[in-house]
Amino acid sequence: MNWIRTIRPTVFAALFFLIACSAETGYPSKDITVVIPFNSGGAFDAYVRALVPGLEKHLPNSINVLPKNLPGAGGRRGASDIFRARADGYTIGIFNMPGVLIPQLQNMPIGYELSEVTWLATLGYDTYVFVVKGDSPLGSIEDLKGLGRSVTYGATGPGSTSYVATNIVNETLGIPFEIITGYKGSAGYLLGLIRGDFDAAMINYSTARSYLESGDIKALAVFGADSNDPNIADAEDLGAPELGQLRVMRMMGGPPGLPDDIKTMLERALLAAMDDADFKSWLASTGNEAHPASAAETTATVLEMTEFYDRFKQLLD
Amino acid sequence: MPELLQATASILSPGTLLFVFAGVLVGLVFGVIPGLGGTTALALLLPLTYGMEVMHALAMAGGIMGAIAMGGSISAILLNAPGTAPSAATCLDGHPLAKQGRAADAIGAVASASPLGGLFGVITLLLVLPIARDIVLLFGPPEFFLVAVFGIVTVAISSSANLLRGLVAGGVGLMLSFVGYDTVHGGVRYTFGSDYLWDGIPLIPALVGLFGMAEMIRLSIEGGAVAADAGTVRLDGVWSGMRATLRHWKVVIRGSITGTLIGAIPGVGGTVATFIAYSTTKKADPDPESFGTGRIEGIIAPESANNAKDSGALLPTLAFGIPGSAEMAVFLGILMLHGMQPGPAIFADHEPEIYGLIVALTLSAVLASIIGITFVRWLAAITLVKGQILAPVVIAVSLVGVYAINLTPGDVVLAAVIGVLGYLMLRFDYPRLPLVIALILGETAERGFQQSMMIGQGNLGIFVHSVTSIVLVVLILLSLSWSFVPLLRRRLAASISGETS
Repeated sequence: MNWIRTIRPTVFAALFFLIACSAETGYPSKDITVVIPFNSGGAFDAYVRALVPGLEKHLPNSINVLPKNLPGAGGRRGASDIFRARADGYTIGIFNMPGVLIPQLQNMPIGYELSEVTWLATLGYDTYVFVVKGDSPLGSIEDLKGLGRSVTYGATGPGSTSYVATNIVNETLGIPFEIITGYKGSAGYLLGLIRGDFDAAMINYSTARSYLESGDIKALAVFGADSNDPNIADAEDLGAPELGQLRVMRMMGGPPGLPDDIKTMLERALLAAMDDADFKSWLASTGNEAHPASAAETTATVLEMTEFYDRFKQLLD
Repeated sequence: MPELLQATASILSPGTLLFVFAGVLVGLVFGVIPGLGGTTALALLLPLTYGMEVMHALAMAGGIMGAIAMGGSISAILLNAPGTAPSAATCLDGHPLAKQGRAADAIGAVASASPLGGLFGVITLLLVLPIARDIVLLFGPPEFFLVAVFGIVTVAISSSANLLRGLVAGGVGLMLSFVGYDTVHGGVRYTFGSDYLWDGIPLIPALVGLFGMAEMIRLSIEGGAVAADAGTVRLDGVWSGMRATLRHWKVVIRGSITGTLIGAIPGVGGTVATFIAYSTTKKADPDPESFGTGRIEGIIAPESANNAKDSGALLPTLAFGIPGSAEMAVFLGILMLHGMQPGPAIFADHEPEIYGLIVALTLSAVLASIIGITFVRWLAAITLVKGQILAPVVIAVSLVGVYAINLTPGDVVLAAVIGVLGYLMLRFDYPRLPLVIALILGETAERGFQQSMMIGQGNLGIFVHSVTSIVLVVLILLSLSWSFVPLLRRRLAASISGETS
């Protein structure tokens, strides 16, 4: 066993060197968890999972980035989990805005305060389309006003983003309306619209897209983007430019008080991952879109959204 | 159908076949462990498919979905702890058979009934694919309400032996189903301020508690092994079980139709499909009272429904992106990850992939059965293991499974609490079936009713507004009056004999 004695100092030196190295290189020295406050299989989930390989590539030290689904309480469980995590950069997550903002404005018992979240980047947003059934005689918002009765809409539960958006649009435009609540997700009330349960709906574009193309439904207006189609009005055309703020946003954030160097490193990695060729080809193949925005822009957008929805506070529930 | 042949060829290529086989193995293991199930298996598979070819991903997903039922039913029969929710109905007659030492017969019946049901479902799916949209559009809020009422009625009358206890159990189930956030009016009910209960009583932990935990508590208290008498355990019953399935081909067809139809209705799903298949078979039998004591038909019916339901559940998933079951919700994620957007264009744009999935589903049900039969000898030996050893192992594995679903400690607590309730129900002879069905359907019924009232502006006429709803109303009335037929016959016979004497 002489050879063991001979190499022992070398082994010790090597170990010592390794320990010294890992101490010096700093963040990130272990795996990073990305919390997804929804079940696996949803749009938010797919987006994060597609982004993860790029994120691993653009972060130093070849650590793993692990998506973790924490569904529950309409996304509030996951959000409070991110908020309560240790501010060391090893737990970040995706936020559904205004989904998690509305309960905060309603003063519901939630475990987070969005103005304190360390915002890292925006991944993208979804616009709202104001749709009716494809063969509906209604061709414009004016037609709806001239119906002589309340227009019926479908939405998920009270306080959900679709419910709040429907409230805000109709109150602002002065359309008398009723909302049939309780549909499961946007696909649920989209089906209700095609079946003829109600007159119209406010639906996110990514869900509506293929049905718009097939002619099952048609768009009367779009919010959150400018319209190039003369038959489809946008917020400006309707004389209510503030409705342009109606969007569903996917934002990445971490717990409050994340150190600046870690924040910058994560922000850069996120933006670089969104620019990665693999991610872009995923976007193209699935019909998704990315609208990257920096940490500073994201923080500003959160403030704007909070102010916007605060103005409509009485319509939230 | 050249596309179908092409899809079969591509699935049967060695590379793809390997993925189907891997899926089958994963499905069996996840199926056997109570708590874990298709949903968890697919959720774990989802990130792995990211780098896979679409066909490989679908082959593996199909392999998992087709094999889950077999695995779930094995634990239902041997342990009275259904490995997955839809297998819960198989406990009712499967476990009594295991107690009599005839576990192998029961597994044989499963191994033959489930691929037959799967095959029936797939053929139906192929036939109705072109009109999938129209079928899905037949069901709106009024129809959902009526389907839920039909389900509750069917189960209520099938527990006629102790109607009052059945009603009590059903009532408790309804109460449990109303816990949590009310998605129609937005209120939060019966949560006692707990965030955990916001989403309601989760089904899988509740089922694990009600069946698996309850049974293990009973076994620990009463002692002994599952099989009452070691001497009676027969390991060669597989073939007689399989022959029984062929002999009861009518039961297979009835179960398969029930499974395909009910599987296609979102929010109602597989568990209800298997229970209704069980209840209708029991009702149609000349000797309904003998069900629950180990009738082989009581296994064949739910098992054929169990595999047929997947094909049904694919309809709303593919046509509208509305998952017919929890498993389908995750499967939807796999589709979307691979750029297959459910909706009007999916059948045109992705025909080969859909056919590939269908072939994989069929193949996997057959493969799972072959594996199940191969291991039946060792599996049946579980019924000889002493309760002191079996119970802690099953309880520990089930609770880990329950925790793994959502990483929520609350789920574990719930499974334990419901486990005690389940044991008390066993002890005092309350049927658990009405509780399960009411727990699942309570929300669908309530939501359907409230939405119908909003759509119909308070007019009850909305429930006879469409052909579908009229058919459902007639079905409900028929099954209600059906339960009085034996009673009337007895009365009539009594009065005739009274007159002649």
